[in-house]
Parts: sequence; C-alpha cells; structure tokens
Amino acid sequence: MPLLELDDVVKEFGGLVATDHVSLDVNEGEHLSIIGPNGAGKSTLINLVTRMLDVTDGDIRFKGDSIVALEPHEVVQRGIGKSFQTASIFPELTVEENAEIAALAAEHGEFRFNFLKHLRDYTEVSDLAHRTLDAVGLLEKVDRRAADLPYGDKRRLEISIALASEPDLLLMDEPTAGMSPEETQSTVDLIEELKEELGLTIVLVEHDMEIVFSVSDRIAVLNRGEIIAEGTPDEVQGDPDVQEAYLGGVEL
Amino acid sequence: MSDDARTDGGTTVKNTTALRERYDALKGEESTVAVVSIIGLLAFPWLFIEAPVVSGFLKGYESLASLILIWAIFAIGFDLLLGYTGLLSFGHAAFWGTAAYASANVSAYLTGSPLVMVLLGTVIAVGLAWLLGYLTLRRGGIYFSILTLAFAQMMFYMSSSVLATYPGSKTPLTNGENGFTGVSLDPLLGMFELNREMPSILGEFVGTWHYGFIAVFTFLAIVIAYRILNSPYGLVFKAIRENEQRTEFVGLNVWRYKLMSFIISGTFAGVAGSLFTIHSQYVPLSSLYWTSSGEVVIMTVLGGAGSLFGPIFGAAVYLWVENIVSGMPNIGAFWHLILGLVFVVVIVLVPDGIWGLPDAVRRAWGYISNLGGDR
Repeated sequence: MPLLELDDVVKEFGGLVATDHVSLDVNEGEHLSIIGPNGAGKSTLINLVTRMLDVTDGDIRFKGDSIVALEPHEVVQRGIGKSFQTASIFPELTVEENAEIAALAAEHGEFRFNFLKHLRDYTEVSDLAHRTLDAVGLLEKVDRRAADLPYGDKRRLEISIALASEPDLLLMDEPTAGMSPEETQSTVDLIEELKEELGLTIVLVEHDMEIVFSVSDRIAVLNRGEIIAEGTPDEVQGDPDVQEAYLGGVEL
Repeated sequence: MSDDARTDGGTTVKNTTALRERYDALKGEESTVAVVSIIGLLAFPWLFIEAPVVSGFLKGYESLASLILIWAIFAIGFDLLLGYTGLLSFGHAAFWGTAAYASANVSAYLTGSPLVMVLLGTVIAVGLAWLLGYLTLRRGGIYFSILTLAFAQMMFYMSSSVLATYPGSKTPLTNGENGFTGVSLDPLLGMFELNREMPSILGEFVGTWHYGFIAVFTFLAIVIAYRILNSPYGLVFKAIRENEQRTEFVGLNVWRYKLMSFIISGTFAGVAGSLFTIHSQYVPLSSLYWTSSGEVVIMTVLGGAGSLFGPIFGAAVYLWVENIVSGMPNIGAFWHLILGLVFVVVIVLVPDGIWGLPDAVRRAWGYISNLGGDR
C-alpha cells in the first residue's frame, strides 16, 4: 500500500481549475519530486495534502485513511510534516524553543491540559529538539534568537522544526528558494542525509532542476493542474511532452 | 588610550558579564520570584504609606494599596492573553464584573465568607470565559477584539435592565444603575475581621487582614502565572503569538490552546473581580462597562505586555494617577490628560513598557558609551 495516495484530486478556485483530476502515489521510503512551470499547481497540491486548502473533489489517503476532513494539526499528528517555502519560524524565540515547540507536539500530541508541569520535567521534548537541531547543524546556536540568524540558518531551522514533529512523510516546498549556491549545496546534502539516515519519505517541490535530478527517485511533472509525465529522472528528462511544456523545447 | 587601560577595560567587561549571567540565572528561578514577591508584597504598604520621603511623595493609603493589588491580579492574567498569546480582548470587564456581581450575590444571599465569595465568583467567571471564548475565538485579529467588546457590552446593557433583579421577583441581582449594595462580609475563616490589623509586627508594618487576604491572592497569581509561563503552555502561547500558522502546522491544536489562554486570563479576572467586591463592599454597574476593559489593557501595555511583573507596575501607576494625582491642587483636574501623556511617552520611548525601562536605559547607555569608545 502506498504511504500517500492522491485519488482524482480536483481543486477549483472559482472558475480556475488549479489541479485537474490528479492521481499520484507516494511509496514508503521514496523520494518524489514534483516539478512544473509557475502556476502549474505544485504548491496547491502540497496545500491540499496539509489541509491548508479544501479539496473540491477526490480523495487523499495517508496510510490508507482519508485525511480530507481533518484539521491541519491532525494531519501533522498522523505523520505528515511540512517545511514552508519561506522560513516560517518563531522569530522572537530562541533556536532551541523553536524546535521544542514542534518536539512538544510530536511527544505529547495536539493538546495537553496540565498547565502547571514545569517544562524542565519534559526532558524527552528537549532531547528530541536537540537531536533535530544537531541533524541540521544548528546545535551551537541553540541560545540565539531565531530572528538574528542568517537566512540560510533560518531555512535550516525551518527544516528542523518540520523534522522535530517526527513526520513519516516530509513535504518540502522549495527548500532552497532564495539561498546562495553554498547554502543550496549544504541543503541538498542535508536532504540526502535525511533520506539515507532517517529513511524519511520525502515529497519535494522544487524549481532548481539540478537539485531535482540529483536527489529524486521519481519525478512527477505538473502542467496546468495535470500530471503530464511521471517516472525516474532519466525517463522524465527524455520525455518529449515534458521538454515541450516545461522546458520550452530546450534540450537539457 | 594606552594598552593597559584597554586590558583593564576588557577584564571589567568580562567580570560584569559573568555576574550578569549569574544574576540572570538566579532571576529565572521560581523560588527567587516567590521570595521577591513576598518581600515586595510585605514592604509595599510601608513604602507606600509610611516610609520617609517616598511616602511623602506617594501619599498612599492602605485601601489604595489593596486596590492596586486587585487590579494587578487582573492585569497579570490579562497579560497572559495579550502579551504572551497575542490576543487583544476588549471584553475582559465581562469576567471582572460578573465575578464581582456573583460574589456580591453570594455574600448577600448565601454566605459572607470571603473565601467562598472568591471561590464561587471565580467559578462563574471561568464558566463565562469558556462560553465567550468558545464564541469569540472563531475569529482572529481585530474581529476577535470587536466580538469580545460586543459580548461584554451586551452583558453591561442586560445588567442595567433585565438582569437588575432576579427574573420574576424584586430581589436585586445587579440592582441596575444603582449598583449592588447588599454586600455583607463575615470574618475570614470565622476568626479574623478583615478591617482589623494583623497581629504584632505584621499589623505594624503591613496592615489589616484585608490587605493580607488580598496579598495572598496576589502572591498566588504571580507564582501560578510564572509556573504557567514555564510550562509548555508558556512556550505554546508565545508560539501562537509569533506564528499561529506554523504552530498549527507542527501539530498543535491552536484553537484549544487559545481557548485555554482565554479561560486562564478569565480566571485571573474572576479572582480579581471577586476580591474587588470584598474590597469595596459595593459593585458599581461600571464594573461591566467597556472602560473597565480598556483600563486593564492600558495597565498591561503601560507596565509592559509580555512580562510577568510589568502589569503590576502598570496597575500601580494607573491607579496612583487616578487616585492621588487627581487630588493634587492645580493639576488634579487634569489627571486624565496626565495619564494619557504618561502612556504616550512610555509607548514612544519604551515600547516594552515600564518593566522594559532598565533594559532600554542600558541599551541607550551602551550606545552612548560606544560612541565615546570608538573615537
């Protein structure tokens, strides 16, 4: 059984069809990238899975259960994490606190009534937070205010927040947008690491072709809300439809 | 500047940093907060009323000291909502006023025991906070503020008309525009008359059982608020303030945490409102009016939203101007204007409020001394 199944998913904004009967499976442990020109519906697709948007028609199943009626935090609790396109962090809090917020949700669920238990008694929360900060290389900066970090570090923090919620499936919306070449390279290394060490299933939405072709097991190409090609990087690269629609006929 | 002088300067800086870190660590301890609160609450009446020089300027009296503590409890709870969770309610008079009326009714028709009055008044406020929170937190930002204001005003108008008496009888419930006058207090725990002085040195320096009773609740309010801020709730509240969407997308139920923040602040308002009935033995209709909601907003922001102790100072300054400055010759009539000016000056110069003043001064001083050092 695939980990995530999109089944004839339709999303309409007024008269505009953003995704048109998209069906897509994501298997456990796999690394799928979704590419496509601007406005192809890539981010819409991600937002439908995370329940930021309601589907107009069709079904989305995670681990076999439909998730289209859940609240966003319930989807996260089921095991779908998301890293945002812009660094979506908690700017006035420390790096450590940023990760702890997500770790708290992972360790203790969506809500806890006990408001009198001291945070220092939640050692498992800070342990998990430190592990994920270590994974992205921010462990030396735990006491820094998140707003004071350089941009690349903010993106790493963003990813570590997504990791600290202990997802089975991680959705990454353009994780290298706005990064310098060095930062991009280190992020790509990080993604490779996550794939190998944690065995995470990753769905990546990305503009940068180099990254996509180097880190993906499988690629789905979206154009005008429809999937026009799907396959291994080599297959997609050679597909004439893809070259026509997405790459404008230019040879790669 | 010689090299020697530079080295000396460096060591001094290092020592102060280490000292500062130790000070910061100590400052963060719960026991420190508890001890400082106890000392502050015990010393406050003496400083305010009897201390040489200081009291001559402050011209305090015990009843005002008690009133400051009551509003401080209200403002501490309100700060959990405004300063930490980032939700601006304009309707907290509803909880303050309802608790005040509830405890007044308890004293008139059930029992005059101060503890029971506070308990039942608070329980009613908690129930109301749950209901209003459930209805108003559906919307965010300005809509939330307006909704809370609307519900509170609704309760004000109902209290001035249909709820003036119990339905179908002439027994006063809120007693409409006259305010509730039938409050009758029993001694605390059946032993201590609230208006009597406490025994020996406590009576000498601190004052009556009345002040002591209120000070105990103030102490509890500070310690419990501090514990809440040090629990996961503090972290989640700040997360919601900083980035509500992200908080939802790490898997936390933002809606329930916001409701808890609202209920907790309603609880503090309920304790304060009940204590107000015990304090004044009268509940004016204005305790439900929107100006009461506005006052607690001003106190919190003036003292420093997002700090534990700030709102206490905000309440003190506000009530001092309202009660003492208003009685001063010549300028007394302009106390509203004075308060407004103080508010504007604080907000413009120290956005973090009175509590942020030392930090702001330190920053300014660092800036100035750096200017000198670079030349």
